[in-house]
Amino acid sequence: MRAEKVDKIATTVVLALAGLTGLAVVSFLVYLLVVGLPNVSWHFLFSPAESFKSGGGIRDQLFNSLYLVVLTMLVSVPLALCAAIYLSEYAPQNRLTALLRLAIEVLSSLPSVVIGLFGYLVFVLQFGLDFSLLAGALALTILNLPLLTRSCEDALRQVPALQRQAGLGLGMSKWRVTTKIVLPAALSGIITGAILSAGRIFGEAAALIYTAGQSAPAISYTDWNPFSPTSFLNPLRPAETLAVHIWKVNSEGLVPDARAVSNGSAAVLIITILAFNLLARLVGSLIKRRLAK
Amino acid sequence: MTEQAALEVKNLHVAYGAKQVVQDVSLKFPARQITAMIGASGSGKSTVLRSLNRMNDDLATVTGTINFHGLNINQPDVNVYRVRQRIGMVFQQPTPFPLSIYENVIYGLRLAGERDRRVLDQRVEESLRQAALWDEVKDQLKASALALSGGQQQRLCIARTLAVRPEIILMDEPTSALDPVSTSQIEETLVQLKEQFTIIMVTHNMQQASRSADWTAFMHQGRLVEFGPTAQIFMNPQEEQTADYLSGKFG
Repeated sequence: MRAEKVDKIATTVVLALAGLTGLAVVSFLVYLLVVGLPNVSWHFLFSPAESFKSGGGIRDQLFNSLYLVVLTMLVSVPLALCAAIYLSEYAPQNRLTALLRLAIEVLSSLPSVVIGLFGYLVFVLQFGLDFSLLAGALALTILNLPLLTRSCEDALRQVPALQRQAGLGLGMSKWRVTTKIVLPAALSGIITGAILSAGRIFGEAAALIYTAGQSAPAISYTDWNPFSPTSFLNPLRPAETLAVHIWKVNSEGLVPDARAVSNGSAAVLIITILAFNLLARLVGSLIKRRLAK
Repeated sequence: MTEQAALEVKNLHVAYGAKQVVQDVSLKFPARQITAMIGASGSGKSTVLRSLNRMNDDLATVTGTINFHGLNINQPDVNVYRVRQRIGMVFQQPTPFPLSIYENVIYGLRLAGERDRRVLDQRVEESLRQAALWDEVKDQLKASALALSGGQQQRLCIARTLAVRPEIILMDEPTSALDPVSTSQIEETLVQLKEQFTIIMVTHNMQQASRSADWTAFMHQGRLVEFGPTAQIFMNPQEEQTADYLSGKFG
């Protein structure tokens, strides 16, 4: 009887606390959408921001955010994947690799403001990149690397050791076992992890304020030459992202409709991140299904 | 022993770090015969088996000589990948890749660079026939290997090993994860395979050793206690430890 009672109480407490957490998250999400969505329109999404009058949109900021995610992933996925392959397939268990893992863990808990200032000193000033998408992408790479490396490593480790042995037993080299057996089997986990991390960096502001900059100069979406200063593809132009825009409009916005702009931007931001998460699930399960066929 | 040896092990020692797990094992594995390696858990039989095609390279220190066609393959400058193509391995649990039955069988061949469709087709049929799986799967070669039963998957893994045309097949408790029906199917397959291949098998199953093996090696605490024809080992063991183990006094 006693054990049953304890079990009942524990179950109730766990359910109540889980419900509370869920309720807090859902009501926060609903609030953001209810307050923000009425301000979102095609006009809002596809017109440039205004500096002094109301009625401005977020076209460039939204594009900058997406483009920055692409640039960051181009740099961080290969790095994280190589690091993860090393850690999961090749790294011996010794002090050096233990130190390496510790370094990755410490890096993952570094505040993003610190990463932003580091990026300002190193990429913006030292490397002379100025406030630019590239400087922002490198700062976000530092932010992204630890978690992405960890999720790639987890995905690789989940591939059963027997699969590797089967490959080796057939006379395959270690590299071939890694690329032909382990990587394909881990692909779904790696891609899911990458998309989730893309969603995470999409909402990052603090690391970007001093690296990608806070200004969104006029850009041309018809100029496909990435070396032209006004081209939307130019990685060396300063670029305010959506998250930075929200911060800036709120803290020093001069537009009369600052409130509406920031609420609308927040709604767009949260919906995009939601889309990233749903996409991650979809792609992950699609790849799994294709493999199991 | 008058039989011709497919593989000859001399003074084999294996250590995991500072822990010596196999000590001074010397053994000749007769060609085109089935040799069973028996012994309690931790006796070192699997370790010896895995040393024979250098699967222990990253895990353990293996010293001693392993002669294969007059070459000591336990040397650093020997190409281990070539060794493993000649000395294949089948594991405790079926390990099909998440591909079709057809692709699984030719996996090793594909990687060795074989592209000719006719050669591949022919080798798939030959290997699946040798592994006694052809009749069951010939109409569904394009289906996923993961849809097969455990016993079928294990025979598929045997076919996959056969497809690279090794001389020796090492089997590490190949039926320990299978039901009795699948087990007896695999045992029948083994008897047919020894016409062409040398089979060395680690097993915990005494009946399996006595049913299918021509030769039996008994290991205890890292040492080879006794090696001889299976009938002699089981009916008339020369060593007391062997007799004790077979009668269930330990192990």
